[in-house]
Amino acid sequence: MLFFADVFLGSVKIPIKEVLGAFFSDNSDFPEYTTIVLQFRLPKALTALFAGFALAVSGLQMQTIFKNPLAGPYVLGISSGASLGVAIVVLGVSSLGIFNYLGILSNWVIVLAAWFGSGLILLLIFAVSTRVKDIMTILILGMMFGSATTALVGILQYFSNETMLKAFIIWTMGSLGGVSITQLYVLIPSILFGLLIAFLSVKMLNALLLGENYAKSMGLNIRLSRFLIFFSTSLLAGTITAFCGPIGFIGIAVPHLARMVFKTANHSVLLPGSMIIGGIVLLFSDIVSQLPGKESSLPINSITALVGIPIVIWIIVKKQRFSSIS
Amino acid sequence: MVESNQILEIQNLEIGYPVSKSTFFSLFSGINLSASKGELIAIVGKNGVGKSTLLRSIAGLQHSKKGQVTINNKLIGDYSRSEFAGLVSFVSTEIIQVNNLRVFDLVALGRFPHTNWFGKLEEKDINAVNKALKMVGMERFAHKNINEISDGERQRVMIARTLAQDTQVIILDEPTAFLDLPNKYEIVHLLNNLAKTENLPDGKVGKTIIFSTHDLNIAIQEADKIWLMLSDGITEGAPEDLILNETFNHLFDHTNLNFDKIKGDFRMKRKHSKKIGLLGDGIYYTWTKKALERLNFSVDKGNDTIPHVTIEEGFWSYKSDENSFQVNSIYELASRL
Repeated sequence: MLFFADVFLGSVKIPIKEVLGAFFSDNSDFPEYTTIVLQFRLPKALTALFAGFALAVSGLQMQTIFKNPLAGPYVLGISSGASLGVAIVVLGVSSLGIFNYLGILSNWVIVLAAWFGSGLILLLIFAVSTRVKDIMTILILGMMFGSATTALVGILQYFSNETMLKAFIIWTMGSLGGVSITQLYVLIPSILFGLLIAFLSVKMLNALLLGENYAKSMGLNIRLSRFLIFFSTSLLAGTITAFCGPIGFIGIAVPHLARMVFKTANHSVLLPGSMIIGGIVLLFSDIVSQLPGKESSLPINSITALVGIPIVIWIIVKKQRFSSIS
Repeated sequence: MVESNQILEIQNLEIGYPVSKSTFFSLFSGINLSASKGELIAIVGKNGVGKSTLLRSIAGLQHSKKGQVTINNKLIGDYSRSEFAGLVSFVSTEIIQVNNLRVFDLVALGRFPHTNWFGKLEEKDINAVNKALKMVGMERFAHKNINEISDGERQRVMIARTLAQDTQVIILDEPTAFLDLPNKYEIVHLLNNLAKTENLPDGKVGKTIIFSTHDLNIAIQEADKIWLMLSDGITEGAPEDLILNETFNHLFDHTNLNFDKIKGDFRMKRKHSKKIGLLGDGIYYTWTKKALERLNFSVDKGNDTIPHVTIEEGFWSYKSDENSFQVNSIYELASRL
């Protein structure tokens, strides 16, 4: 399966190079070309690929555990937690002048703030999930946490100045291009670790297809499965949100695409399937966001929605029904 | 039953569910029951009496307030999660609707306690799934999606899943709900066969199958034992014993239902206001009588001194002091009376 992913990564990388080659054809400065490919294009493509993996897999896990076709990576409130972390740094602390003193807002600070925010939400979810038996209660609480943090972010936005507000809004639009090679050394292992846990939970996810009662009657350790699945989802979605901002749509739509393509409910197929499709869709979205040929690319969040929504509508209209899992 | 054949014992169990941290809503208490290997046991009782809660308590899905449930002389709470899953399997009333889930894969989920961490199906697991599908007569449906089969077929598949789980005890919550009459009979008959013929993991014959149902006449025909949950206590016994000692009559106290000891089923108590005579015999007599009783007549066989109906060759004639007429069908007779 990873072979497949590699092939697709290659096939997608080539048009990027071609676009690049065409763009720089009159520029004979070869080292600059290599620098751009290695320092900018390659990390961006890798980020897109891994973000696609991560968001699709975490979305699939959430749809299965909550038995809800509309669940996605962010239903637990992870992106809201990350937003709150970033908002506190960008809007709150920096308006006090601490980071202005450093000149620019460090990318790392934003990443750490987002991670911290989503980690906090994760801890809350864990605390709740050991006490609450009903999985739907957890879903509702997750959404409540999310709404509460969004409200806090709103207050922060209200009191911040225009420059900071714009910096924050741009973060919420998502970006694959802001990740440096150094950051990839953190991003890729985190995602791989999250994916590893997800692959270890395949059997549990399959059992959960029938609901928690059946899963329990077949000997599933509900607490352990919740811990692993929530931890994996938070690591995957939290990391991507930290580095790229909240990228929407992929997490909800791709698992459905995978179900349609592979015509199975078995997670040992669906999980790698969602991963591959997620990678493809996000790489494709990234290419689309480059097409205008401008120096700055379009916000990836808008592209994933604009690319993905027609696909989903086409599927609904053609199949007459959306793949429901509940 | 020989003592060593006993597998399940319930002692002084109190079932219910927690309302809040400190209070427990008690549904039923003082439950003392037992089950032996190879027995098909039907739980019968009114809606809301606690049949499902009892089943879920035995299946280890719900905590009970006090008392104990032992299987093979060991408290169910003392079994490890996977040991217990190898001992008791469960089918709930929920209808499983998962798109793209094939019948084979659903049944294979029953192998959960027997497979490794990744749930990889070995040859013995695949054989067990195929055997389970064959036992319920669903082997031809293995590659269908569960959303494409009928309710009766789906219930068979759910039973096949418990067979693949290979447990000594199978618990089913209302397996005959939503089914048409032939399917109800077939499913319960299938359970009876499985209880009698299926091999246990320990090599002995006979699974213990416990199910709840509202189809009393089917339960009476197929079950070895009935756990009758009445509002004032629970009674167990062979269905025939419960009929003969009139325990069934108490099931629907305070309603308009009467238990018919001969037919083994409940029927509405009727207020017969008018008397009518009926002359004739055979099957025509039986059904004409039923029709007249439905119209609240009290039927007096062979009495032609009161208004009466005579069954003739192919038609019915009615005669009273006021009028008389002939009709060609019971429907017509009913509308004229």
